[in-house]
Amino acid sequence: MKNRLRRYDTSVFFLFIAPWIIGFTLFFLIPFGTSVFYAFTDARLPGAVDYNFIGFSNFQEMLNNPTFGKSLLNTLYFVGVGVPVVTAGMLLLGLLLNMNVKGIALYRTFYYLPTLVPIVATVIIWRLVFNSEFGILNAGLSVFGIGKTDWLGSEGLIKPVIILLQVWISGSGVLIFLAALKNVPKHLYEAVRIDGASRLRAFFTITLPMISPSILFVVIIQTMYNFQMFTEALLLTKGGPNYAAYTFVYNIYKSAFTDLQFSMAMAQSIFLFAIISLVTFVLMKLSNRFVYYEGEK
Amino acid sequence: MSASTKRLFSQTGKYALLTVVLALFAGPLAWMLSTMLKTKAETYKAPPSLLPESLNFESFNRLFEVQPLMWRWIGNSFIISILVVIGVILSSSIVAYGFSRFSNKYKNRLFPIVLMTMMIPPSVMMIPSYVLFTKLHWVDTWLPLIVPAWLGGAYYIFLFRQFFMSIPHELDEATYLDGGNRWTVFSRVILPLSKPIVMTTVIFAFVNTWLDFLGPFLYIKNNEMFTLSVGLQLLIGQTSQDFPALAAGAFISIVPIGLLFLFAQRYIVEGVMLTGSKG
Repeated sequence: MKNRLRRYDTSVFFLFIAPWIIGFTLFFLIPFGTSVFYAFTDARLPGAVDYNFIGFSNFQEMLNNPTFGKSLLNTLYFVGVGVPVVTAGMLLLGLLLNMNVKGIALYRTFYYLPTLVPIVATVIIWRLVFNSEFGILNAGLSVFGIGKTDWLGSEGLIKPVIILLQVWISGSGVLIFLAALKNVPKHLYEAVRIDGASRLRAFFTITLPMISPSILFVVIIQTMYNFQMFTEALLLTKGGPNYAAYTFVYNIYKSAFTDLQFSMAMAQSIFLFAIISLVTFVLMKLSNRFVYYEGEK
Repeated sequence: MSASTKRLFSQTGKYALLTVVLALFAGPLAWMLSTMLKTKAETYKAPPSLLPESLNFESFNRLFEVQPLMWRWIGNSFIISILVVIGVILSSSIVAYGFSRFSNKYKNRLFPIVLMTMMIPPSVMMIPSYVLFTKLHWVDTWLPLIVPAWLGGAYYIFLFRQFFMSIPHELDEATYLDGGNRWTVFSRVILPLSKPIVMTTVIFAFVNTWLDFLGPFLYIKNNEMFTLSVGLQLLIGQTSQDFPALAAGAFISIVPIGLLFLFAQRYIVEGVMLTGSKG
């Protein structure tokens, strides 16, 4: 009797989670499974029926793709330079907005606003600000005697400009740091102040270790995001000038929708998935040495 | 220097710092507003003037003239966002009830998979999903944007489950004693107690859908079916030199989210805290 009741309850459980099971199967398992399958074929179009198995050819050919190396290097720049810069920016803003002054809530609201701007609107705004002829930035800089800079048209500047854009819309990470900073117990600061430690020292010996779990979290999220950098680069300068902002996901997009080589695009997607998984795994492993969890021996 | 003067000094310093950085962050938005209110000729002046000579709303007229589909795109964005919100609330709360109130071995094995799917990089799924939607003949319809939301998104399931876990089980027991079943517990006890998390999810899902660019950009080719974001992208190509009209378009796409943020800031902040992202 009890067993039957339990079995009945289990079926009710599956009824409740049925939407997720269907969604997970249809929108994750099936597409992911078929894409692993297609990556080893020469299918060119998404609905292709005639295709041959070609083993690892797509993966070999991917390396010969003329834009592959460039796109990988650019993506590594966004990860290697972009992630530390954006994370540091978020942390500095978090510290700034954690200051104990009247009206700070209003400041916080304003800092968060850019994060809620749709990305296309963000790009429109940045094109207006960074326009070399009529933009406000060059006009402002000229007051300090700095000459006209072609921000969006220079191969050397486009990646830093995109990273700056990421800092502008980094409100979510700032919120996470703010919450972490609020949770650092005040008595710890009082203890080192009695010892005569400076603010800077208190920051490195107390604040940083105490918020290290949040730093790890933000770094992982941002690393995953920057490995997938695409929309910003596409909308701002179409990956240019001269492929300077052309990223790995851009290359996937181009393989699929411009070159009409879907199987190649899938091979690249799998490659990207492997890299992201590997890097995330390494970050987690390394973090054991740096991240301090309170309440853990 | 006395202690109080010193304090006053550091207070002033703090405000000065906050205000300078604020200017850098709010500056671009202010520049958008200023550009939007200028005439086309004014935007070609070098050096540019900080403020428009007079308040001029011509840019909006030009925007709707160049792109008569603007109204339609705004409407599309609203319809899609609202349909997504309804689907998310219904499906994710039901699934989350399953993952929070039952105890069996399947639950403990399946829930980690839900969490795992939160970590899948979306761009890895970009091409596979496109192939699937092509085979389903869903490309160039709104189905790829809406149907997944009706089948339980991992983020929202997680949000609901966290909240349901905090509701005491005594209430469930009382309902069973009154002859209620699982569904009565969910619909009569759990859901009515979950207004805060429903509010958070409504706003969070709306904002995320409104902000989504890549989904509609990939799946919708027909101009009349565009969302506002994808429409604006088309507009950049059409009138790249009409700065005030572009600024007006950007402004329009910000207004709904800005208003939501004004009235429901608490819920947006909560959503970010709980999931660590805005999309």
